[in-house]
Amino acid sequence: MLVYVARRLLWLPVLLASVTFVTFVLGRYGPGDPVQVRLGTKYTPEAAARLRREMGLDRPLLVQYVDYIRKALQGNLGESYTYPGRSVASLIGKKIWVSAQLGFAALLIGVALGIPLGLLAAYRQGTWLDTALVSGALFFYSMPVFITAPFLILVFAVKLHLLPTSGWQGLFSPHIVMPALVMGLPGVAGIGRLTRASAMEVLGQDYVRTARAKGLPEHLVQSRHVLRNAMIPIATVIGFSLAGLVEGAFITETLFGIPGIGRLAVDSIFRRDYPVITALTMIFAVAFVLANLLVDILYAFLDPRIRYR
Amino acid sequence: MHKAQAVAIPTGRGESLWLRSFRKLLRKPKAVFALVVILLLYGSGLFAHWVAPYGYNQQDLTAVRQPPSARHWLGTDGVGRDILSRIIYSLRTNLIITAASVLTGSLLLGVTLGLLSGYLGGKVDSLVMRIGELFTAFPGILLVILMAATLKPRVLELVRDFEDATGIRGLVRWGIVDYFVVFGALAAFSWIGMARLVRGQVLSLKEQAFVESARAMGASLWRILLVHLLPNALPPVIVSVSMGLGAIAGAEVVLSWLGIGIQPPVPSLGNMIWEGQSISVLQKWPHMLLPPVVTVALLIFAWNLLGDALNDVLNPKAR
Amino acid sequence: MKRAAAWLSILTVLLVVVSVGCRREAAQPTPRAPAPAQATPGAIPTPTPTAAPAPSPSTPRTGGVFRRLWDDPPTLDPHLASDVTSAYIIVEVFSGLVTLDYDLRVIPDIAERWEVSPDGRTYTFYLRRGVKFHNGREVTAEDFKYSLERAADPKTQSPVAETYLGDIVGVKEKLEGKATEVSGVRVVDRYTLQITIDQPKVYFIAKLTYPTAFVVDREQIERMGRRWTDQPNGTGPFKLKEYKVGERIVLERNPDFYRGPAKLDRVELLLAGGSAMAMYENDEIHMTGVGLADLERVRDPNNPLSKQLVQAPASFDTYYIGFNVKKPPFDDVKVRQALTHAINKELIASQVLSGLVTPAYGILPPGFPGYNPSIQEKGLKYNPDLAKRLLAESKYAGQLPRIVITVPGTGGSAGLDLEVIMDQWKQTLGVEVEIQQVEWATFLQELNRGNLQAFAGLGWVADYPDPQNFLDILFHSKSTQNHTFYNNPEVDRLLEQARGEQDWNKRVELYNRAEEIIVREAAWIPLWYSGERFVLIKPYVKGYRLLPIIVPRLKDVWIER
Repeated sequence: MLVYVARRLLWLPVLLASVTFVTFVLGRYGPGDPVQVRLGTKYTPEAAARLRREMGLDRPLLVQYVDYIRKALQGNLGESYTYPGRSVASLIGKKIWVSAQLGFAALLIGVALGIPLGLLAAYRQGTWLDTALVSGALFFYSMPVFITAPFLILVFAVKLHLLPTSGWQGLFSPHIVMPALVMGLPGVAGIGRLTRASAMEVLGQDYVRTARAKGLPEHLVQSRHVLRNAMIPIATVIGFSLAGLVEGAFITETLFGIPGIGRLAVDSIFRRDYPVITALTMIFAVAFVLANLLVDILYAFLDPRIRYR
Repeated sequence: MHKAQAVAIPTGRGESLWLRSFRKLLRKPKAVFALVVILLLYGSGLFAHWVAPYGYNQQDLTAVRQPPSARHWLGTDGVGRDILSRIIYSLRTNLIITAASVLTGSLLLGVTLGLLSGYLGGKVDSLVMRIGELFTAFPGILLVILMAATLKPRVLELVRDFEDATGIRGLVRWGIVDYFVVFGALAAFSWIGMARLVRGQVLSLKEQAFVESARAMGASLWRILLVHLLPNALPPVIVSVSMGLGAIAGAEVVLSWLGIGIQPPVPSLGNMIWEGQSISVLQKWPHMLLPPVVTVALLIFAWNLLGDALNDVLNPKAR
Repeated sequence: MKRAAAWLSILTVLLVVVSVGCRREAAQPTPRAPAPAQATPGAIPTPTPTAAPAPSPSTPRTGGVFRRLWDDPPTLDPHLASDVTSAYIIVEVFSGLVTLDYDLRVIPDIAERWEVSPDGRTYTFYLRRGVKFHNGREVTAEDFKYSLERAADPKTQSPVAETYLGDIVGVKEKLEGKATEVSGVRVVDRYTLQITIDQPKVYFIAKLTYPTAFVVDREQIERMGRRWTDQPNGTGPFKLKEYKVGERIVLERNPDFYRGPAKLDRVELLLAGGSAMAMYENDEIHMTGVGLADLERVRDPNNPLSKQLVQAPASFDTYYIGFNVKKPPFDDVKVRQALTHAINKELIASQVLSGLVTPAYGILPPGFPGYNPSIQEKGLKYNPDLAKRLLAESKYAGQLPRIVITVPGTGGSAGLDLEVIMDQWKQTLGVEVEIQQVEWATFLQELNRGNLQAFAGLGWVADYPDPQNFLDILFHSKSTQNHTFYNNPEVDRLLEQARGEQDWNKRVELYNRAEEIIVREAAWIPLWYSGERFVLIKPYVKGYRLLPIIVPRLKDVWIER
């Protein structure tokens, strides 16, 4: 176990380095030479050569990369193309926190609805309720976010005037309800399906039958045996849904006017602001790698049956 | 060598298994529903040229933004193009990209690398898995965007040169560059899940008697991989492909919605949704938004449903 | 002033309306085009702006917050701004020697009055006393000299300094890095500034109303460097209180504003996007443009919203397809004419764009000084047979090289109008063209370097109300903004003659003759002039003016509740 964790930790820097390097190279070779963008109408070959030297773009790629990372670690991610004079770090800044709150709310919805519904379906296995829940989950899982959002806005904001259409006022405000719901729905479906599957497997296990046979009250059977063991795979799915949340955030934040990094990413894509795209890709990648590591380690602790080489 | 053929029990047993599974599948209403939807949607897309009542860019400025009628079953868009026809051609776009990505990405790359990685182990295994890990570390959509942006101008140059050199015209106009870029980017991401899955299967299979005996009889590496291991690893592959198809079909829509996928006038569901997407349009001209939306939802839903049903049939233990 | 993405958004938005990120509002205010000065010779006809909603009889009250959707401004530095999004905010935070009133006349601002020398080349400005920057420091003639020289400094990299200040003696030398000072700007005393231009130009004073000529605080810029616009120390009626990129901009009343403080306590510009129409109906914002999809519903007299609907005047802009006349096949005038005659603009305008634009056959927009109504008849009309004949007569008949039209912008559609035009070319002439989308920065760069064979998806928007602003800048063979590389000695001669002509009628005549030649030779395919726009404004928002150009206007807005 410890060896496994150690190996993963040793591999971590290599992975992070490769991830950042690939992003960096792609960002560099993307269209829109930073020199030309900076010069705009003032372009002359001499001015370009001078600026290239000033910006250090004439050095070998690897040197530039090391330089970028060194600066990135000090919080300097370069300058945006779209907003001359504005640093990428200041653009990203607090937006991460906004997106994290929204992601947390969405995850909460996913867990709070997904687990009970999954368990319910497992207990009513084979009944119409089960079928309805399973196909319902599948349906919402299939719905792209940009389809659900306008419908929700139409109903709850425009028609019923119950909720604000867009904006951000923090975690505890009505503004968060619709975006969190839109982002959380696929999660409800995913977590619900997995809960159902693992609960059904656990229900068929000997120890549950034993527990029941020895007369343990049903609620104890549920909480001590079924739920706990069903939780193992659920822990992983929560980890994995991080990726889904990031992609959901892109569209949700755009549609609901939420100033998070998802919207920033989409805006930067539309504006082809490569320094921002590169920085965001790196930030997401680092977050993914760390989250995956955490999930794997957690998984190993949770499930003693799993042995790692 | 030709003796090994006789020992290849799994193939023989497999065939009847496939038939049986297929019959089991057809007994499931949800599977039938999914199959019918997929066949209908992709079938019309495949034969778009014959099925679609109008061309995808056939404009009629005297009939702009018309509600559904006998002439235009789903109405017309802002320049009087038939929405039904545009959806059908969009499905063709989606079919081409989805099929190409799954075939090359998941099946060719994913299965091959998974087989090699699982069977050979050691350095090959480490290399493949580490590269895969690298890919999963990225938020796919951002990297796809970066890749599309970097690749596209170069591919465009290439295709233009090709057109000029050969005298073949219209490739660029037909959107081949977009097809290529989107497909390339999607394929680059879709192999890794498959490779891991196949590798896991192979790891558990390779110590089994029939593989051992094939090896003992001196079967070549590829023979062992393709004849002995692959058929036995197939059921989960099929389930996973079916699930993955929905995801890839959806990814094409999202990319076009973001404006980095298929460029107009070549139709794509993502573009159609983007163009019609606003609450005002939804209220005033629902026929411009609802049909593409329903199509996308139905398509992805059908793939997931099919995957679910296949899972029941081929993978009963996993339930 | 070039305008691109905005045009795309006009089209898409009119049809699609307000939902996502970058395509937002139907009624983006148009860029400013100052009007003629009273102090200059030659009475230029002034277009009549619509003040709407009409100022109500109720008395203005102080207080309240005005809220609307806006986009992140590319810059808040007045000397760098060349776009509407930035200018709308900058004119409220900064100010200059002169400005425009709501009738688009040049009026005194920081300069109390000015005099023009008899030869028409020297302007003497007398500054108000006691005008203060937001931090309390007094504005002097030295500040203006510094500001004009900063705008013309090549290190500032202003994309518009040459257009707006290039008439001032010494600005070109400064821009080229050959001079440290601008010789045509002289500080006479603490409150007197003298500006000398290269030749008498009636339109010069109007150029000074543009942000490029605004005053900025030297101390702050030297202290804070490029980040100074985070808390700019301006002189305008509002202070920038808060700017969170992608979230919001908050402007706060400047109580010391020298022309009387604003009524509003604050102005909030929401930058995070959202569905404008839904937000308006949900009382989240106070005004929004109305797109095609909502127009019918909003106009319905039974709908209470119909009483809040206001019609805004068309802005001064012309949208077009440009050809690089140096590149085949556009070096042959017949190809250009053929493509022009093959487009049925009337049909596109009425059907696809629902009459929200006017088909354009000339260069100057209707209502603009020097506009020649007969050009709409003399222009190259839809004539498929003539188009076919012209193409057959051209030297590229039957062997047309590849045509790539580059449009600025990313994602989505290249514009419905362009999709129809491509189709009309294909149907009428059998000509199939390729469309290529590139982002705005790359687009401009390629345009300036003459790499684009043909370009579309952009318009030219008036900067100041003088025909020179369109015809000379865009079609004189030596102009840096002549992206078509159109070169006709006769046109050059007419334009040069018009520059110094003091008699307004003779000037107009010269410009009209030049315009006719340009149109006949089809260096552009003029496509559309902006039509009138529809805007919803909450009834309790008073005094908001809808103008064809950007003018500081928030000072006089008040909330009545």
